[in-house]
Amino acid sequence: MFLLRLAVKNLSRYTRRTIITAVAIAMGIAMYLAVDSMLLGAAEESERNLKWYETASLRVHTTAWWEDRLFLPLDEAIEEPQPILETIHALGYGAVSRTRFSAELILGWEEFGEDGYLPVEITAIGEDDGTVYRYGATLAEGRFFNAGEMDGIVLGSWLAEDIGATVGSSLIVSTRGKGGFFEAFDAQVVGLVNCPNPNVNRTLVMMDIQAADQYLGMKGAVTNIDILVPDREEVQSVQRTLSQALSSLDSSVIVLTWKDLAQDYLAIVSSKQGGSSLILFLIFIIAAVGISNTMLMAMYERGGEIAMMRAMGMEERRLWVSFLLEAALIGLLGSAIGMVLGALATLYMVEVGIDLSFMLRDLDMGFRIPSVMRGAWSLSSFIVAAVGGTVLSGMAAVIPVRRALKSPITTALVRL
Amino acid sequence: MSRKTLFIITLLLFFSCASLWAITAEEIIAAVDANTSFASSHSSGAIITVDRFGEKKSTFEAWSKGDNTSLIEFTSLAERGQKILRTGSSLYLYYPEADQLIRLQGAALRQSVLGSDLSYEDMTRESSTLASYDATLEGEDVIDGIQCWIVKLVAKSRSSAYPIQTLWVDQERFVVRKGLYATAAGRALKEMEVIALMEVGGVAMAKESRIADLLKRGSSTTMRIESIEIDIPLPDALFSLENLSW
Amino acid sequence: MVKLALRNILRNRRRSLLSAFAIAVSAMSIILLLALVEGMEVDMRTNLIAYYTGEIRIRSSQYARYERYHPLHLSLDDEAITTVLERMDEVAETSGRISFPAALYRGDRSRPVLTMGFDFTRETAFSNLASILSEGRLPHDRSNELVMGAVLAKGLDITVGDRVTLLASTAAGSSNAMSFTVVGIVKPPIGSLSSSTLYLSLERAQHLLFMEGRVQELVVRSTGAVSLPALAGEIAALVAEELGIETETQAFSQLNEMYGFLRIAKYIYYVIALIFFLLGSTVIINTTMMVIFERMAEIGMMKALGMDDGKVRLLFLLEGAFISAAGALAGVLVGVLITAVLSRVGIDFTEAMSGIEMEVSSVLYPSITAFTAVAVYLYGVAIATLSTLIPTRRAARIQVVEALHYV
Repeated sequence: MFLLRLAVKNLSRYTRRTIITAVAIAMGIAMYLAVDSMLLGAAEESERNLKWYETASLRVHTTAWWEDRLFLPLDEAIEEPQPILETIHALGYGAVSRTRFSAELILGWEEFGEDGYLPVEITAIGEDDGTVYRYGATLAEGRFFNAGEMDGIVLGSWLAEDIGATVGSSLIVSTRGKGGFFEAFDAQVVGLVNCPNPNVNRTLVMMDIQAADQYLGMKGAVTNIDILVPDREEVQSVQRTLSQALSSLDSSVIVLTWKDLAQDYLAIVSSKQGGSSLILFLIFIIAAVGISNTMLMAMYERGGEIAMMRAMGMEERRLWVSFLLEAALIGLLGSAIGMVLGALATLYMVEVGIDLSFMLRDLDMGFRIPSVMRGAWSLSSFIVAAVGGTVLSGMAAVIPVRRALKSPITTALVRL
Repeated sequence: MSRKTLFIITLLLFFSCASLWAITAEEIIAAVDANTSFASSHSSGAIITVDRFGEKKSTFEAWSKGDNTSLIEFTSLAERGQKILRTGSSLYLYYPEADQLIRLQGAALRQSVLGSDLSYEDMTRESSTLASYDATLEGEDVIDGIQCWIVKLVAKSRSSAYPIQTLWVDQERFVVRKGLYATAAGRALKEMEVIALMEVGGVAMAKESRIADLLKRGSSTTMRIESIEIDIPLPDALFSLENLSW
Repeated sequence: MVKLALRNILRNRRRSLLSAFAIAVSAMSIILLLALVEGMEVDMRTNLIAYYTGEIRIRSSQYARYERYHPLHLSLDDEAITTVLERMDEVAETSGRISFPAALYRGDRSRPVLTMGFDFTRETAFSNLASILSEGRLPHDRSNELVMGAVLAKGLDITVGDRVTLLASTAAGSSNAMSFTVVGIVKPPIGSLSSSTLYLSLERAQHLLFMEGRVQELVVRSTGAVSLPALAGEIAALVAEELGIETETQAFSQLNEMYGFLRIAKYIYYVIALIFFLLGSTVIINTTMMVIFERMAEIGMMKALGMDDGKVRLLFLLEGAFISAAGALAGVLVGVLITAVLSRVGIDFTEAMSGIEMEVSSVLYPSITAFTAVAVYLYGVAIATLSTLIPTRRAARIQVVEALHYV
């Protein structure tokens, strides 16, 4: 305890140097955390894009539907979704019903020109969809349809661009209902969605599930139930739990993870991870150098003082500990500041993200990229930073301290 | 019995009804159905598809036995040697350069044949209209100088492709001259027009008919029968899978 | 002045060394990072050009419009266009291709696949599938044979010698199916190709799809004399003029989203580079500060002897500059050396890459250009030198009296 106070006292004698070193470490740590967050975010982007906008964490289908899924067969829908929804809610997870079906958008020749029709996949959602998916934040224009709105549809913004549709455009949806009967109804584009998932932007057509239920003659049946599992929980184990819970309820359904579903979706590009470990390594080297330097200078300056303490009988080991503590404290201080800065940076990147569109404009690319890069939280990185920063600093001081304590007391005293 | 016999008996049944003058929708439809069902047939014809990319003509030769079994062989260049065999509710596709038959079932039947407005499913339909539809007589109309009944068919279940069909039936010959196929809400989806009739075994039959998609402008499918023989003896082996692979 | 600076540096070797070391480490790190990103970019470019688009890709101008429908009938006359291309000096190689979706049947089970019809002879300049064959051989023309991606084959439990049937929509609007023998397995460096693609000979694809003599696209390699977008424009103009065919002709960089994204990533790394150097510079600041403290007496002396503030500042600046120059040089050299080694050996990222869809191989070879190395060097020296300004300003302001106090 005494040693700790000693260390702190010593540090305060050289505040400027201490601060500068600590700040250097802080910046390094902050940068590591920021870059790590960014790389992790980019790597998670594809996962996130799927989970937030296409697959959710888990999905319930009937086994028959899953086998014929290329055809989106309404006949193999989940007939009684309510008990399943209740079971899942009781277990504490968000779940919503959705119905997916294939259709053709028929574009009025007056409004759209000659390209008359487009095969699409329509996703019908309910008002509670936001408990599992995150479309709410992605509305680019217009609005979402209301519950029960029979003719409102929302398109992905790139799809709309491709076909020349805007908010207010009317078109006809032609499809086949449950059983096989033909159905066609008028629809109006009420909103456009622009989300980080390019696949969604390119292909999304959404409508209200009650309207779909009526048009398709579903009578309450839905094609899938989508479930949100919080990040901290392991998806596979929830899958097992749910499968068990549901098998007694309805033996015709299966529970799939987003990974099972992901194979059928266009894989979204993401950048590699592993780059951040490299950066961390490099930063630590620099930090180590910084600490060594600081300690070296400290040792050099305080040569006389050290000698005095040794002369007065202070054990070498205690001296060691005291100096190492000094170094470690600098490291701790630096790490602490760095973590705060890093946390702020990560917070910004996770919630807001970095908008790259200014760069995109200059690069003059004719195609579209999701232009916001988002970060991700990684507790392990923060722990690594804190522990690493402190421990490494302590370690970096070893050599200079050793040199200082090796020299005979007499020569050191001369320095006084 | 021959088709013609069946037709005559059906007509006699009608005329023996208590209400001589008021023919019912069911009777009309029954007669129409009777006209289009054969014990067996051998025909050749063409399907012409028009879509956004232009016109495409495919020619075929077809055999059928009863209502559930048929074999089609394509004779046009782009599909030469390809065959489709229907037995019950399964469909088998034969391609000359493939080792195996391709079997279509369930949802795969909804795919369209040759990109036309016909799906494989359409080819596997049950042919008894009254089993799936409720018929009502809506009135009369004249098409191309022909006096027709207007019969409205409303689907009994959701598994019928067209929830509402309106048929213009030739009053003399009991053959459909025009059809309008609509959604349950009454929105017209497709229109069928008989362009030419022919006489087969004493009964009138569509020689050339055209289905136009009313939603997708410019999209239509024309079916033309060049020749047809009915109620001829056809060996069962003709409709076997072995024969298909040959 | 310079000599004085140099002497001062050598006087406190240990300290100078430490500062230089810090700069060196920063410089080396930057070099490595940039080399990695450069390696990725080169790799992606190679893959795109080989397997996807060539350096320039030519398609019918209508094709892009109806791309959703895979309109094979909107094809190109292979021979006619190739003849025109071969007359152009800047065109080195050409190859015609057809890529189309098909259903792969094995008994009753079917699965959608992407099929590519390649002229394997002409493709040696592009995809050179022979070099990625892991088993078997390439298909012969006029034989119903194909090769399959390794992951796809594994997933379907297919080995060399098996028969499969492909069902596809043809250019004539019909469908057609043919059976093929799997004669080889290929291992493309890109995961998605390996898991979903088959390769047939172009001649067979043309036969299957009723596309005799025609191709869906032509890919081109240039001699490098002209910029690719410019060459693309030339080709389009020439083909339109001589053959009356309107094409969509573009360079690979204009066609692929990811490539552009990667270039953005490079900018981000430049920013990281800046921060690294700043970090390294803090060490110099610290050192310089201490030096000044130590040499207070000396500074006081110099000032008393008539040296003005500016000169003092200059002296320390020079010292900083030399240390930075030496350190950065060492760092850059070491970084370049390590890069050179890694560029032969390669870094294996297969672990990290699994499950990621990107046209980048699993093994990367970092590389660095002389330009980048020099740029990093100058950058490092500049930043480090400038950072010595902070403490030296203080030094210059030291009053003579105050300094003499330390004698």
